[in-house]
Amino acid sequence: MTESTVADGGAVPRRGVRSRLLTANTFWIALVLLALVTVFSVLAPNAFPTVFNFQRLAIETAVLLVLAVGMTFVIITGGIDLSVGSVLIFAGMVSAKTMNALSDGGSAINAGWGVIIAGLVAAVLGGAVWGFVNGFLIAHAKVPPLIVTLGSFGAALGAASLLNNGSDIRTVPTTLKRALGSGTSFGGIPNLVITAAVITAIAAWLLHTTRFGRYTFAVGSNPEAARRAGIGVTGHLMKVYLLTGLLAGAAGFMSLAYYSTTGIAAHATDNLNAIAAVVMGGTSLFGGVGTMLGTVIGVFIPAVLKKGFNITHVQDYWQMIAVGAVLVAAVWFDQQRRRARNRL
Amino acid sequence: MKRTVWFAAAALVLSGCGSGQVGEDGADAGKPDASNKRLALVPGVQNEPFYISMQCGAEAEAKAQGYTVDTNAPQKFEATLQEPIVTGLGADKPAALLIAPTDDVAMTEPIRQVKDLGVTIVEVDTALQDRSLAVSTITSNNEEGGKLAAKTLAELAGDKKGSVLVLDTIAGTSTTNARAKGFLDELKNHPNLKATGPAEFTQNEPDQAASKVTAALASTPDLVGIFATNLNSGEGAATGLRNANKSGAVSLVGFDASPSEVDGLRAGDFQALIAQDPATIGKEGVRQAIASLKGEKVQRDIEAPLVAITKDNMTENEKFFYKSEC
Amino acid sequence: MSALFEAVDLTKSYGSVEALRGASFSVDAGEVVALIGDNGAGKSTLVKCMAGAEQPTSGTIRFEGRDVAFGTPTDARRLGIETVYQDLAVAPELDPAANLFLGREIRRPGIFGALGMLDKKAMRTRAAAEFDRLGVRLQSVDVPIGSLSGGQRQSVAVARSVVWASKVVFMDEPTAALGVVQRERVLDVIRRVRDEGVAVVLISHNMPEVLSVSDRVEVLRLGRRVARFTAADATLEDLVGAMTGALSQEEDK
Repeated sequence: MTESTVADGGAVPRRGVRSRLLTANTFWIALVLLALVTVFSVLAPNAFPTVFNFQRLAIETAVLLVLAVGMTFVIITGGIDLSVGSVLIFAGMVSAKTMNALSDGGSAINAGWGVIIAGLVAAVLGGAVWGFVNGFLIAHAKVPPLIVTLGSFGAALGAASLLNNGSDIRTVPTTLKRALGSGTSFGGIPNLVITAAVITAIAAWLLHTTRFGRYTFAVGSNPEAARRAGIGVTGHLMKVYLLTGLLAGAAGFMSLAYYSTTGIAAHATDNLNAIAAVVMGGTSLFGGVGTMLGTVIGVFIPAVLKKGFNITHVQDYWQMIAVGAVLVAAVWFDQQRRRARNRL
Repeated sequence: MKRTVWFAAAALVLSGCGSGQVGEDGADAGKPDASNKRLALVPGVQNEPFYISMQCGAEAEAKAQGYTVDTNAPQKFEATLQEPIVTGLGADKPAALLIAPTDDVAMTEPIRQVKDLGVTIVEVDTALQDRSLAVSTITSNNEEGGKLAAKTLAELAGDKKGSVLVLDTIAGTSTTNARAKGFLDELKNHPNLKATGPAEFTQNEPDQAASKVTAALASTPDLVGIFATNLNSGEGAATGLRNANKSGAVSLVGFDASPSEVDGLRAGDFQALIAQDPATIGKEGVRQAIASLKGEKVQRDIEAPLVAITKDNMTENEKFFYKSEC
Repeated sequence: MSALFEAVDLTKSYGSVEALRGASFSVDAGEVVALIGDNGAGKSTLVKCMAGAEQPTSGTIRFEGRDVAFGTPTDARRLGIETVYQDLAVAPELDPAANLFLGREIRRPGIFGALGMLDKKAMRTRAAAEFDRLGVRLQSVDVPIGSLSGGQRQSVAVARSVVWASKVVFMDEPTAALGVVQRERVLDVIRRVRDEGVAVVLISHNMPEVLSVSDRVEVLRLGRRVARFTAADATLEDLVGAMTGALSQEEDK
């Protein structure tokens, strides 16, 4: 009998570690990342595999990682969120305005931790507002996510620009910049990276071990079945988009600390970069499948390409082509494996 | 998965507590290396003739003194794009950094980070508000340039009475903001001309400039002149005037003498150009940087010359035209 | 003698369309009753009304002798009434254990459970036990259920409804999309379910299957019950005749 039933004693046999590893989405994309790191280390042995370089690499991807973490939940539910970059800017703007308003003379450059905390709260709330709007329109009004978030992509950016007449706010507390933006702990790990790592770890826990995470997968896999099983699909979708908004708010605060400016013009393609990272990491655009580890790897692939090309003096523009190629190749490869597995 | 989290946390703790700043490795921070003959030049944006001319001037001077210049510009005039280039210098420290900061406040910390690693800082073209970081600042006196532009426009307008539109780029750009200020201040000395209002911001996008010109033509029937504070706003303004068939009828004074603006001057789209001397800025930047490295006397502020070019005096001012390659 | 579950004289209109015109139905514990009828007879609508997915315009539903009204399927579920649909019954990307516990996940004890953490090991173990009990044989319990055959998928869906249903299970064409061998599997599970004392209501178009697995058959035509048979005594001609109206038995009120 080739079918497996319950072994004696109720212990359920699981497939071997090797078999699970080889079919895991993330294993193969991790190999790609490793290959890229190896190639660049060989091409530029003095510049690429250095502590300084990995520090910079990690710092420069920290903010995008936080956006991609939220995007992972959204895409697993079969939705999409194009508004994350604009919400980031809006949250940063609200935060900067708050901090400046609470400071003497209207400039927050010398502000202390009390003001900074207020700024953090403002940023997260600012993100939550747009998360709520997105969630409401998608879950309750049942407007397709692509359309809703395309609308909030523009609206959030417009709202952010209105707040300061189209100009960036650059008066960010120096304390914030030095502590979060460029500070390090534990002997050299940038605080920005630690922040992103903690957020990612919590999100991974949420996605892979809790009921909230499983409902996310269920809704993405088959919303009708989930509904029939008694899962409140509407409420869950609201929570997912709200979560993404909160994370975009946090990312806005991190970006403010790092760049010392609200950067209105600098986040136009954050949404597509986040989506590409999530998809390259093995999350399916059709929903129901994905891992947080995959997203982390997916975020690093374009970053490693860009840094590697910079260090080996290849023009920036090749990096854009390379990322496009890796994205399509990764998804194609993943689809092939999925088709093969479904033929079992 | 739980196991990997614990392992990572343990590694973090074990790697020792201790906070600091990115790039601090203690070893050779703060000491300039006499054998390092590499200079880094970070202009404001790629592919702009102004910065290319500056690069040419810098490279020529460096070569003459036995140094090399490594130029690396952001794709857009954006602090968020310039920041990684500047902080990335920590990997392979140059002896000195010549930089045109894209934001006079936001670029302070990244530049300070590089300075703390022992790199000498020289500002070219634009400057930070914080004057403590650079050893020398070479810039055109943009306010004087604005004044010169106003005087030139007054000459072109003659006795005509009317309104003048001022197009600035992005708030926070010290150079164009100063040009606009100088222009508006000088304009007060010419009673037959008045400004339509404070300078309007085009976000350094030509199409925004064009639409602002079109809007001004509709709302201000007595528009006689436009001052565009840089290349992009000038090109956009020229387009706007052309589309409304008002080239020449409204006098357009631009800033900078890039190849397209020079052509525009020849063709009659522009009536005057206020040209800077980017080659001199580049040359002086290198000169001051090397002087500082050698411990010689450094001049803290240097003003590069400006000249007003009109169709009449084009030929003798050819040397002030900007290059698109060295 | 009142049956475990009864629908009496249900009507249901969607706008101007009368789907049910006084339909009745009854099923007792430990029996499989097939609900058959031609296309448009109102079978799906009747089941939806009885399972709480729709609300009848008029009529009574009685459960264990008491009148009940279901606002949502959850109301019905609380009384131990479950439904299996023809399609869209499982989440293809989740594994069989996850599907079995969909909506009713087991959480870890203590503070972890309060935070929402799942006890995946417990669910896997319990799922294996339930599959064994119901004779659901799966190629692998560790893969997304979408990569298993249709029959295995439906077996899991049926098993799910049975694990949670203590009283009544409605099945709307559960074997319609399956091949012969797979269909047999699902029917086996249905038989075991009946043997455990649960009432099973089966909608089917497949007459041989109906005669093979049910104890009784009730026929719906044009929104009304027109005949009732015991499977042992009925022939194919009887069933088809009742469905098409050629044979009229009782006009049940």
